[in-house]
Amino acid sequence: MIYGDKKTGVLVQGATGKQGEFHIGLMNAYAQQVGGRGVVAGVTPGKGGQQVHGVPVYNTVKDAMKEHDIGAAVIFVPAGAAADAIMEEANAGIDTIVCITEHIPVQDTMKAVAYARMEDASVIGPNCPGLLSPGEVKMGIMPSGLFTRGHVGVISRSGTLTYEVVDELTRAGIGQSTVVGIGGDPVIGQTFVDVMQRFEKDPETKAVVLIGEVGGNLEEEGATCTDLPIVSYIAGVSAPPDKRMGHAGAIVEGGEGDAKSKIARLKKHGVPVASRVSEIPEMVRELFRCGC
Amino acid sequence: MKFREYEAKNVIQAAGIPVPAGFLIRTPDELTPHLAALGDAFVLKAQVDVGGRGKAGGILMADKATGTKVAKELFGKQIKGLPVKEVLAEQKLDIRHEYYLSITVDRSSRQPLILFTEAGGVEIEITAKEHPELIRKVVANPLMKDLPPFLIRELLGNAPKEIGPVINKLYKVFIEKDALLAEINPLVATPNGIFAADAKIIVDDNALGRQGIAVNRDLSEREREAEKHGFSYVELDGRIGVIGNGAGLTMATLDLIEYYGGKAANFLDVGGGAESERVKNAVRLVASVPTVKVIVVNLLGGITKCDEVAKGIIAAEIPQKVIVRLAGTNEAEGRRLLSEKGYEMLDTMDLVVKKAVEVTA
Repeated sequence: MIYGDKKTGVLVQGATGKQGEFHIGLMNAYAQQVGGRGVVAGVTPGKGGQQVHGVPVYNTVKDAMKEHDIGAAVIFVPAGAAADAIMEEANAGIDTIVCITEHIPVQDTMKAVAYARMEDASVIGPNCPGLLSPGEVKMGIMPSGLFTRGHVGVISRSGTLTYEVVDELTRAGIGQSTVVGIGGDPVIGQTFVDVMQRFEKDPETKAVVLIGEVGGNLEEEGATCTDLPIVSYIAGVSAPPDKRMGHAGAIVEGGEGDAKSKIARLKKHGVPVASRVSEIPEMVRELFRCGC
Repeated sequence: MKFREYEAKNVIQAAGIPVPAGFLIRTPDELTPHLAALGDAFVLKAQVDVGGRGKAGGILMADKATGTKVAKELFGKQIKGLPVKEVLAEQKLDIRHEYYLSITVDRSSRQPLILFTEAGGVEIEITAKEHPELIRKVVANPLMKDLPPFLIRELLGNAPKEIGPVINKLYKVFIEKDALLAEINPLVATPNGIFAADAKIIVDDNALGRQGIAVNRDLSEREREAEKHGFSYVELDGRIGVIGNGAGLTMATLDLIEYYGGKAANFLDVGGGAESERVKNAVRLVASVPTVKVIVVNLLGGITKCDEVAKGIIAAEIPQKVIVRLAGTNEAEGRRLLSEKGYEMLDTMDLVVKKAVEVTA
């Protein structure tokens, strides 16, 4: 597994908010289903002593850490407070920090990610759906019903598009080891490269589906830093330049980061690129068939 | 959101970076009171939101005698299709050398990236392609308020030391103004010192609120309307309206339309939580675009309630055909509601898109 498993205790920051409360319920329902620990503590400043779905809430992350063994955190706080939440968790010693929150100013994210790096914490997101290792752990908001356990890792900048791909894989009988949504912002903590390096060390993962989109060039970095067989898909072939396509990071700027040149570079490195999502399962099967 | 040149120059001047004496005018006549201060020769620069305006005729030289006439000419022009509503009248500089300085967000290192070259000016993009070795680059630690002097020395090389403070001041502007880009090109050396002859600032759309910017000028009226509802919306030029949930899935739907030979009219991401009221507003917004002949709705999510979505589509009561792909909870009920009213609901995104392309062919 990468980032966590059944034994990982999860903390939710923003536990008493609408989103936090709702997803603590879903994460713990999944934990119960797979026999994992799930969310063991919540944090909302000023709401210490309350409970959410039976999970105790603390005022600070450090208070929660004194009472529980916590390996990961999921953040649901508003954009203005999210960078601070990332830094609080990193400072308290949490290894994996998943930030679901959208619309965080980039300057705040750069600071929080730099701070987390000093504290040796890995930040997933922001503006992401989190991650799910089927049968082990769910940290975030992915709909677990679509997933099935197996040996294909998935890394994606998207949310629902990831669910679409996972759904296609599951229907085709191809299970997943871990699915990570790294986020749709221009600056994110764990990039394709970081997640790919984790997959490389993960005995459960035999191949990877990489789902990118317009903006930046980190897909190529991710696809070329590993020996694992990869199938990729890049969204935004029809995206016009200088328009933000829903994600803050999905923009073709200064003639850079367009889908067609990304696809061309991936193909040049020998990475197969699907033209449609529905082609992905067959291409993954092909990887396993040729044993490459 | 992009700042116009005069706005960017006001910002960097307030930060202590010298800019040429200049005046913003909104009619040719407004030039008259400034003629004395502008000196014998000056420059008139159209303030339009497009790049490459110089080559497109948006920058004209003028002098005391011809000033008003040239201003009239510029106000009468269209620059890359945009009318000229504001002109910056600026003192002409005695340029001895042009430098380039920019600060951007580097996705790879997740830090501010600072670029500097002694080969500045309008041909910077060609320099970047053909002589990348001439452009010096450093990344800065975003936790530091100032650039350390060694980084500035690395950037400068043999360039004049007076540029050093300009680099640090622009870095502070970049941080304090929540910029995604802060650029001075050209940064010029004159007998009277260093000046920013042009400046560009792009502010992070997610920071407009705390920067005190109420309206995002870069958005069209319909895009702004969509923003009020919490949708991401982009106008395109085809005939198939597209509504999806999530940016990636919506983009993939657009791409699929292109794959099957069609053209999307827009991109609307309804975001999380597709309640009937949100869906209704989304469908109506897309249907209000005159070129839209058919609408594809592609919603997927474990927790999306299909009956809610169906109710929203029906309540929108629009004249165009709506083709729906829904996956989530209460799928059967959603399908029943839609088919009762004669809407088509198909199982995969490939099927809905193929159908929509057929309808518009």
